[in-house]
Amino acid sequence: MPISAPESPRTTEALLSVADLTAGYGTIIVLHGVNLIVHPGEIVALLGPNGAGKTTLLRAVSGLLPWSGTARFAGKSLAGSSPRDTARNGLVHVVEGHRVFTQLSVTDNLLLAGYDVPRGERHARVDEALAHFPEIAAKRADRAGALSGGPQQMLAVAQGLVRRPRLLMLDEPSAGLSPVLVDRVLSVAASLREQGTAVLLVEQLVEKALRLADRVYAMAQGKIVMEAATSEPDLPHRLERAYFGHDVATPLHP
Amino acid sequence: MKALLPYAALLAAALVLPFFANDYWAVIGARAAVYWILVAGLNLVVGYGGQLAIGWVALLTLGAYTASILVARFDLNPFIAYAAGGVVGALSGVIVGLPALRLRTFYFAMTTLGFATILTQVALSWQSVTGGGIGLPGPTLSPPFDSAWGLYFLALGLAAIVTWMTANIAASRFGRSLIAIRDAEVAAEASGISKARLLTIVFLFSGFTAGVAGGLFATLQSYITPDAFTFDLSVTFFIAILVGGRGSILGPLLGNILLTLLPEFAAPLVAWSTFLYAALLLAIVLLMPGGIAALLDFRNRKPLESHRSIVPQPDRLRALLDHGPVREDIVLRNVVLAFGGVRAIDGLDITIRAGQVHGLIGPNGSGKTTTLNVISGYYAPQEGEAFLGSRVLPHGAPQTRAALGIARTFQTPRVIGEASVLQNVMVGATVDGTASFMEAALTLPRYRSEERTLTDRAMQALSVVGLASLAAVRADRLQHSELRFVEIARALAGRPAFLLLDEPAAGLSTDEINRLGSLIKAIAAAGTGVLLVEHHADLIFDICDHVTVLNLGRELAAGTPADIRAHKEVVSAYLGA
Amino acid sequence: MLAAILAAGLAVGATYALIGVTYNIMFSASRVMSFTAGQLGMLGGVLGAMFISRLHLPILPGMVLALGGCALVGLVTEIIAVRPVLKALDQHLYVLSTLGFALMIQTFTAIEWSTEPQPFPRLIGIGEGGPWDEKFWLPVLACVATIVGLELLYRRTLVGRAFLAIAEDNFAARALGLPERNLRMASYALAGAVGGLAGFAGGELLLAFFANGSMLNFYGFIPVALGGLGNNKGAVIGGLALGVFQQAANFLMGGVVAGVAVFAVFIIVLLVAPQGLFGAPAARRV
Repeated sequence: MPISAPESPRTTEALLSVADLTAGYGTIIVLHGVNLIVHPGEIVALLGPNGAGKTTLLRAVSGLLPWSGTARFAGKSLAGSSPRDTARNGLVHVVEGHRVFTQLSVTDNLLLAGYDVPRGERHARVDEALAHFPEIAAKRADRAGALSGGPQQMLAVAQGLVRRPRLLMLDEPSAGLSPVLVDRVLSVAASLREQGTAVLLVEQLVEKALRLADRVYAMAQGKIVMEAATSEPDLPHRLERAYFGHDVATPLHP
Repeated sequence: MKALLPYAALLAAALVLPFFANDYWAVIGARAAVYWILVAGLNLVVGYGGQLAIGWVALLTLGAYTASILVARFDLNPFIAYAAGGVVGALSGVIVGLPALRLRTFYFAMTTLGFATILTQVALSWQSVTGGGIGLPGPTLSPPFDSAWGLYFLALGLAAIVTWMTANIAASRFGRSLIAIRDAEVAAEASGISKARLLTIVFLFSGFTAGVAGGLFATLQSYITPDAFTFDLSVTFFIAILVGGRGSILGPLLGNILLTLLPEFAAPLVAWSTFLYAALLLAIVLLMPGGIAALLDFRNRKPLESHRSIVPQPDRLRALLDHGPVREDIVLRNVVLAFGGVRAIDGLDITIRAGQVHGLIGPNGSGKTTTLNVISGYYAPQEGEAFLGSRVLPHGAPQTRAALGIARTFQTPRVIGEASVLQNVMVGATVDGTASFMEAALTLPRYRSEERTLTDRAMQALSVVGLASLAAVRADRLQHSELRFVEIARALAGRPAFLLLDEPAAGLSTDEINRLGSLIKAIAAAGTGVLLVEHHADLIFDICDHVTVLNLGRELAAGTPADIRAHKEVVSAYLGA
Repeated sequence: MLAAILAAGLAVGATYALIGVTYNIMFSASRVMSFTAGQLGMLGGVLGAMFISRLHLPILPGMVLALGGCALVGLVTEIIAVRPVLKALDQHLYVLSTLGFALMIQTFTAIEWSTEPQPFPRLIGIGEGGPWDEKFWLPVLACVATIVGLELLYRRTLVGRAFLAIAEDNFAARALGLPERNLRMASYALAGAVGGLAGFAGGELLLAFFANGSMLNFYGFIPVALGGLGNNKGAVIGGLALGVFQQAANFLMGGVVAGVAVFAVFIIVLLVAPQGLFGAPAARRV
């Protein structure tokens, strides 16, 4: 399906542009020609039912999975980039499931995120990232395994911030968190936007995502099935249709 | 018949050898035959079963010492001593082999290596019995077997018999089950294959041939010391199989001949032979995992038709699923299952009616697949029970389900890539096999007629799903969507009363989903109840008689598709609000 | 008698433990158990004897070269026997590829070095003959030094923490942008040096003998199986216990019983506690 131009026209060039991207695991193809654009400094929500391919898309873009098609970030092609290359260029992927290193301290987790940062600058970067999360700054000497789910997710996001990303891709940062913590983690995305960092957010909590994001893409069965600005009317209804497939004869809410 | 040609040629060459060669070649030929007697049995363990038994020389050692000791110290008839060596080998084969039931690849390889290491130490230290480092004489035979050519023909005859038997076993349901355990263990369990029973029989057989080979080896060597049973020799056996190719009889046979004869043709290489074999092993693993057998597999090099479509023929279902009417339902009562602190299923009651399509939907992590895994026996619930009619389904015993008439497919198709599509489907009918291992090894009539029945039934199942034209093709050449239908055919080949489908539509095109939908409806109409776990809401609403919606391990809603579509909470659960 | 058993037991035990640590370092970096672990120990002894006895180098340069050679072999293991099969879903492939490479090392050594055990040079010359002979305490010293060194590496350096990160969650480490491949190669080189140290320090006890490779493969694996994959503390305790048990059984009951007893205990422990007595580190999250 053709992708319409973004509703709020921007003069800036796209930060991330993905065109006709195909990817999968081994012989199983999950993404069938995905098109997607993220502009500098905007929050884009990527929604869709289980198994639609959202996580696969993020993994392909960050170089964790092989893919074909075109993908450009900040004017450069992403073809052949390893996760290390993309992260160095400012495209940072925080994977799902707050996978921090439980055996290491909070500080060590963050220092590792700055593995490629010059040695003298590392500690300053860690402090900078922790400034977003005073909750875990107080526990910087604790083992990451001793933190509960919410603080672990904050740590995972903070790991991404150590890189000073231009685009931060968050994969289900709310999974398994209480509503208060979800708001807390998502509020960081909003403050990042104010600093000019773009965020690509994969979320299950549609309402929260819609409230936060500037634009939204919906995926189903490995394709983008809808693209809209969050200011557009009637979004939840359109999403339902996108989720349940267009073949359902009767609308869910006539 | 064409498949027999290479064997006939090899046998003919072996039979005419005495007319061209001197006694030296009789010894070399006898050695190749003796090694093959062991390797043929080991091939079932390694090549078919995929168990990395790298220390199988230990059983050759045991057979050799048993036979030699019985003859030298107790003056037994050498043939009885060989048989005794075989029995000791068989029992030890089970003892060395059975840790494979619990231990993964490297661990098992290590235990067999450890057994071989320790056995050599024992042979060295136990001087009063084994003669220690000095050794003891091997059994000597009376005429006509006392000459070099006499022994050659004895070994050749036994090797031919062992070849015939292992080829029969490989072609039988035992061979298929072994490959299934090797490449698709989970699917093997779901098809009712008991790994413990199967491996026990195979270790017995393989240990027996190794033990007999040991006795003959002792006669061939005429004097044995622990030095004769090096780890190098063990690895040579192992490498012969891998060079030959897994899941083949001819390949390892050629590999064995090659590895035995190579040093004879290239004398300067003798010292380096093990080095070369090791390099060969590395090269095979990295460059040509199929081995010689893959080189010889011309049939699977023919390109497949590129635009093929799957056209199921549901009208053939009635003939296949000729079980009487199923009256029992699958019932889950108050099932609770937690992983760590997370309750994947939290008090679930569900009834899957015979002959109906029951849809199970819900968001990520709601417990759909977990429910399916409880019914099919992979997970044991902490509370509650699953019933079939009034019988409790035993916990954590997936291999019991096929016999109870419960078949399933998997989210990621679990098929044996190196076996043909037909063989894959026949694995699903394993539960109906009754002929014993020896009946299969000797191709007795009951086994043959049973095999014909199972083949027919598998072909029927393949026509039902629309893949009959691909029956002879290696399964790893199929497309992903075709593999999904192969799995359904495999499940149907067991003529199940219930079929559990785990996301069968994932990765299918719209056309294929529609055909899948009609096939599922036809399966239910033929009397087999279907539990369908799916994300494609449209497919669920289209074909289900009854739908259960799960959320956070509990039932959120249940009813007809129309009820569910109108259900406010379901929509919001999907939208995550 | 007791002193002799303890001295010999701790010495071989420390050697087994170091081979166990070699297995662990390679496993942590790649989830691969490599048959080259024991061969690296064998090479430590052979290369040490070659540089010091045959080529008459001083002890320290000889040791550095021997360990360096082993590190190189470790690195080559990663490149030719591990990396090509890491992507394969088939778990058995790495067993075969590392077995093939290990056999190549072993037979090459047998042909180019010697098929008979060769003497290993006397390194310092302390405690001739008694239980305080250097051949008994050198392996123990090497084991202690290795453990302390590894602990410092893991706790005090960023590279060490990166090793731990990769061991715990390879996927997350890659996603974080860690240079996973370089770290894996470094791990294999480190494992090579540790394996080489085992053979070098135990050289006076085990001699420079090509067949030590498969022997150490098995006896070095037992502590890993007992202690749990990747658990160095477990490997050291398991290795020392195995060494003392083996020597005691040997002295008291003879070789036959000792061999059978070690194997029986190994099998029973594996069957009863497949994760090892000390437990494996937290399983990787899927």
